[in-house]
Amino acid sequence: MVTKMLNSLIDISLKYKLLVITLFLTISAFGYKAYTEIPVDAFPDITPKQVVIYTESPGNSAQDIEKLITYPIESAVSGMAGVKLIMSNSIFGLSYVSIFFEDKYDIYFLRQLVSERLASVSIPNGWGKPVLGPNTTGLGQVYWYQVKDTTGKYSLREIREMQKYIVTPLFKSVAGVEDVISWGGDRKQYDLLIDTKKLQDVSITYGDIVNALQKSNQAAGGQYLEFNREQYLIRGAGLYKSLEDIRNTVVKSTAGQSVTIGDVATVQSASAPRFGAVSIDGDEAVMGMVLQRTATNAAKVVEQIKEKLPTVNAALPKGVEISTIYDRTEITHKAVNTMTSALASGVVLVAIVLFLFLFELRSAFIVIISLPLSLLIAFLLMDYYGVSANLMSLSGLAIAVGMIVDGTIVIVENSFRKLHEEPDADKLSVISDAAKEVAVPVTFAVLIIAAVFIPLLSLDGLAGKLYSPMALNIVFVMLGSLAVALILVPTLSLLLLKPTGSSENAVMRAIKKGYTPFLNYALNHAKPILVGVTLLFVVLAYILTLQGREFMPTLNEESIMYRVIAIPGTGLKHSTEISKLIEKHILKNYPNEVSSVLSMIGRSEKGETAQANYMEVLLTLKPKIQDLDALTKKMNKDLQSSFTFVQFISTQPIAMRIEELLEGVKAELAIKIFGDDQKVLDKISKEIQSALSSVDGLEGMELESQLGQATINIEPDYLALARYGITVDEVMTLIRNGIGEESVTQKIEGIRRFGIVAKIKDAKKDIQSIKDVTLRAKNGSIVTLEQICNITVKQGASFIKRENLSRYMLLSMEVEGRDIASFVQEAKEVIKAKVSIPDGYYITWAGDFKNMQEATQRLMVIIPITIFLVILLLYTAFNSLSKAMLILINVPFGFIGGIIALVVSGIYLSVSAIVGFLAIFAIAILNGIVLVSFIDELRVKFPDVDLKTLLKDATLLRLRPVLMTAFTTLFGILPLLYATGVGSEIQYPLSVVITGGIISSTLLTLLVLPAGYYLLYKKRR
Amino acid sequence: MIRIFLFTALIILGLHAVEIPTAKATKRAFFQNVKLNAQIIQLPNAKQSIMSQVSGHIEKYFIKAGQKVKKGQKVVLIESITISKMTSEYISQKKQLIAQEKNYEATLALYKKGMTSLQALNRESITKDGLLAKLNALKSQLSILGIKTSKLIRASAKFILYAHSDGIVSKISLPTHSSVSQNTQIISLLKDKAYYLKSFLPLEYAPKIKIGQKIVMHENGKNIISQITQILPNVDATTQRIVLLSSIDKKAQNLFINAYTSATLYFGASKSFISIKKSALSFFDNEWVVFIPIDAQGDEIPYEVRVVEPVIADESFVGVKGLDEGEEYVSDKSYYVKSMLLKSSMGDGD
Repeated sequence: MVTKMLNSLIDISLKYKLLVITLFLTISAFGYKAYTEIPVDAFPDITPKQVVIYTESPGNSAQDIEKLITYPIESAVSGMAGVKLIMSNSIFGLSYVSIFFEDKYDIYFLRQLVSERLASVSIPNGWGKPVLGPNTTGLGQVYWYQVKDTTGKYSLREIREMQKYIVTPLFKSVAGVEDVISWGGDRKQYDLLIDTKKLQDVSITYGDIVNALQKSNQAAGGQYLEFNREQYLIRGAGLYKSLEDIRNTVVKSTAGQSVTIGDVATVQSASAPRFGAVSIDGDEAVMGMVLQRTATNAAKVVEQIKEKLPTVNAALPKGVEISTIYDRTEITHKAVNTMTSALASGVVLVAIVLFLFLFELRSAFIVIISLPLSLLIAFLLMDYYGVSANLMSLSGLAIAVGMIVDGTIVIVENSFRKLHEEPDADKLSVISDAAKEVAVPVTFAVLIIAAVFIPLLSLDGLAGKLYSPMALNIVFVMLGSLAVALILVPTLSLLLLKPTGSSENAVMRAIKKGYTPFLNYALNHAKPILVGVTLLFVVLAYILTLQGREFMPTLNEESIMYRVIAIPGTGLKHSTEISKLIEKHILKNYPNEVSSVLSMIGRSEKGETAQANYMEVLLTLKPKIQDLDALTKKMNKDLQSSFTFVQFISTQPIAMRIEELLEGVKAELAIKIFGDDQKVLDKISKEIQSALSSVDGLEGMELESQLGQATINIEPDYLALARYGITVDEVMTLIRNGIGEESVTQKIEGIRRFGIVAKIKDAKKDIQSIKDVTLRAKNGSIVTLEQICNITVKQGASFIKRENLSRYMLLSMEVEGRDIASFVQEAKEVIKAKVSIPDGYYITWAGDFKNMQEATQRLMVIIPITIFLVILLLYTAFNSLSKAMLILINVPFGFIGGIIALVVSGIYLSVSAIVGFLAIFAIAILNGIVLVSFIDELRVKFPDVDLKTLLKDATLLRLRPVLMTAFTTLFGILPLLYATGVGSEIQYPLSVVITGGIISSTLLTLLVLPAGYYLLYKKRR
Repeated sequence: MIRIFLFTALIILGLHAVEIPTAKATKRAFFQNVKLNAQIIQLPNAKQSIMSQVSGHIEKYFIKAGQKVKKGQKVVLIESITISKMTSEYISQKKQLIAQEKNYEATLALYKKGMTSLQALNRESITKDGLLAKLNALKSQLSILGIKTSKLIRASAKFILYAHSDGIVSKISLPTHSSVSQNTQIISLLKDKAYYLKSFLPLEYAPKIKIGQKIVMHENGKNIISQITQILPNVDATTQRIVLLSSIDKKAQNLFINAYTSATLYFGASKSFISIKKSALSFFDNEWVVFIPIDAQGDEIPYEVRVVEPVIADESFVGVKGLDEGEEYVSDKSYYVKSMLLKSSMGDGD
């Protein structure tokens, strides 16, 4: 059936030559258009389907936020369809709930569902309102900038205002921008500094002032009146216009005498309490981060932002401008360049190899033309299926470059040989026969290659998202090459090929001469060779299991970034000072390498969970740094020794975000300890810490200590309250508004809004001043907080993390000089032996390692299925199970070289290396098919010839196509092996494995396969 | 091994990077005060007493009952043997001193000529100094009583008392020519316009207050001192605070009656405590601690964590329990020591 279909396809295409050529010209044109328009990205979008809910609850402690906000939200969203995981973090002033969904749902649908559920959550008044986080990807921070004042005229507060009211709206109007996040500087607010002693003088309470503020500052519409046939609108304009208005607000009035706010408070503009700061080169600064919307293209968004820059700069006051800090497109272009240059040099190398083998311009031309054509078809398909051009998808093409031509080679070579053998026959029928002869094996070979990469598509999670574009592209380009081989190549062969004097050139003759004795030897010693090779494979397979494993080689982004962590509870002011010192230190000691240093301290305004003790330091490097690796190492050591009181963890901008996406764990490897009581969790984690410190390979360990935040607890004493006639509400209002500076109302200036805060004077000088805060009850009693509350200083939680509604603590680790899998193995045993974990508490492993484990487990299931599928395809092609098995035997031959290459070059077994093995799988099978199908063909033609002779002849005749396919694949992959640019390190393990695999597979196919065939069929004759 | 070495090196380097100052714990007396809300009031019919400062015999009143007096006006003349003794002694001492000074001059001249010994000169000098000291003691006693010694030529028993503030003489307690002992009330003055400070004090301070303690009123940048004259037995019903009355003796300018003002009550020196700088305190593992430098070996951190209990505090010092006098402690930048300790327990670097 398949044969028939293919035969008629070849017949039709040979019949309508012009149509075929026009068709491919059109496809090329569209393919080229797709190539120029295809969205470009550094990475495939690896963000899980995730909806974030954050609730700003200023001034409130982690414990209360967990109880009053996080838990209600968590329980409302749990039990929704498609929820995979709910994670939350309650920190000082913020509740952060993140819901991970199964990937199959649409993100807008999910956001809708979550909003519906949120409507049912009730959170106490004054505790904030849950908001959905921006609809962006994990790598959504595509463009960072500083609002830079070159004149020195403007204060940080003014610059922050410009950022918020001028820059943000303009950038937000750019298509694809979801949000702009402001960071650094400080926000203006109006403070009413209330001297609480004066409350006694004028007989009012603190609550009276809050009430007075709320009742003033209003606007109202009074409809209209008609006068002299015209309409006059009536407007009640009661909003505060000046500070004088605030001062004159009446708090209490008796018999014509009134007490105003000005009588009891000083009104002035001030800064709101803040949770984050930004510092650049030793000075505080204001920056913004543009967030790209989900499913938009980073490069395009950044491009449009850059187009908008002149407008923004014009809108800003003179001397203030936008200065770019980080631009995602730079790395994108670097990564794509690495891959496209690998692809291009692969194409050139393959072309040279082809020409050397064929030594004939016409046939070489046909094969070479199939390369760009298949690639263009792949681009067309990429465009159609919305696959962006990125590191992974392009590397798929680069890997496949050598295999694209395989089908074409076989057909052209067969036609070429046949034309040479039968120079007098009708050209059309010769070409048609030649193409038909190999059509079935070629088709199945290509289908098998595609099938081999399907397991990658089935990978889940991060691995799946990373590697499926690669697999998809391999499938695309192989399908493209199949179409070219079956439709265009026969036509071109018919038009271009001419019978030549000799189908062999000098190179081929020499190779054959050298090869023949080995082949003879192999055929004569079939059994021992087969046994030997099998033994070798078994030994190597065992060695492979010992080889270290890792999830993904680190992408070199050509930039240096640090996560700097000070002890929990460190104040923002001090963190900012530390950052400034670090910046100055780097600028002073690395003037030739670093041009600028940026620190982001604490958190920005929108739903980040970092505390004030957390800093991110990004270095802008000068161009042309010789050895970035050495510089990074030197700097790591230098910084850690110069600033011993903080921890430095070196990372890179994208790597850091990817780490964060690993389910909230910002580390390669981590242990999550689950349970209820934070103190017990703390104890267990400390025990694990000390137990693991002796395990080899542990480079650093970091306990994300959730305790350690000193808290001033103000607990109302109900008896005392009763004595003085004060309600808890009054006390809490005082704490929230008077001490916590929550704004009571807003002063609206044009479109700008600034909080008006009824702040108690000198309340936050020290702990004693909190105790001394004075309250006046409605009945006139004057009490200090200390009199009516128990005020204690306690160690509280600085944050509380939960996963699926259960508290946990995180112990993250850095492992170096050893693969993670074996480290985890040993660590597990150590913990089991040394740490006792009470009932109700348990640990799980997380981080990079978990992904690797999941990927491996999945592959363990999928690879056998794939093998079965391949066998099925082979069986269909050859109609014989034993031949299918014979071809499959080639796979171990390929693996032998792959494993040797991997072990010799000391690379860990990563997903990238596994992809290499998959490619070998395909190549080995391809080699086998080409040879076995030809032997079969000869056996049918010459049934009386001795099997050994027949095998020898067949192998010799097939030597050229086998070598050609092998060498094209090898040279196609070589540029990846020697690439050095951004992203090359991810493809390195893969290319090492493939290179080794091709060599062993080709050699062994040419020797062992004939031997195997001989063993299998010598008795059947 | 290499790692341990590196880690030690890191710590040593770190110590160089941030200089951590230390100090010795010392005993220190704490002066406590409390800020108050106070109201300026004027009390009519406030009684003031003019007391006799010496014992003696009332010779003459310069005033009559019901008469208005002004501050500094003569009130009464007392004949006092004490005064007479003191003045005569003063005069005789003064004469002796003059004579002795002459002696000394003479001896000095002789000594310079080498005609007497140094011991003799010293003897004369010591006698002279002794006389001078006695004279000065008398001088200050007399000046407390308002007698200026510079004008004192001959001994006198007469002692004049002056009114210490304006007022009306409401009562003369003792008749003329009667005897009076020291510290007895002689005359009651009724001040018609006395300024008082009415201060409101939280109940918890009740055990600490005494009559005579100083309350300083802060008004328009000026500090006006007053002294507690009365502690009202009833707590203020509305504010639920103790009410203290302190009289403002000085006639201050621009005091407005019924105006509220802020004031500070000084309790006087309390006990001495072992004290440390406030900047030394750190909250660590749910307790207040200070860090004590110790000699460390190997990769140990050269600080010990000492739990202390803060007892009393003022602006910059804290009295604590849990530390011995003279013990060295980290007086500032305790944050860095805490970082070091927390980081090492995280197992960083090794």
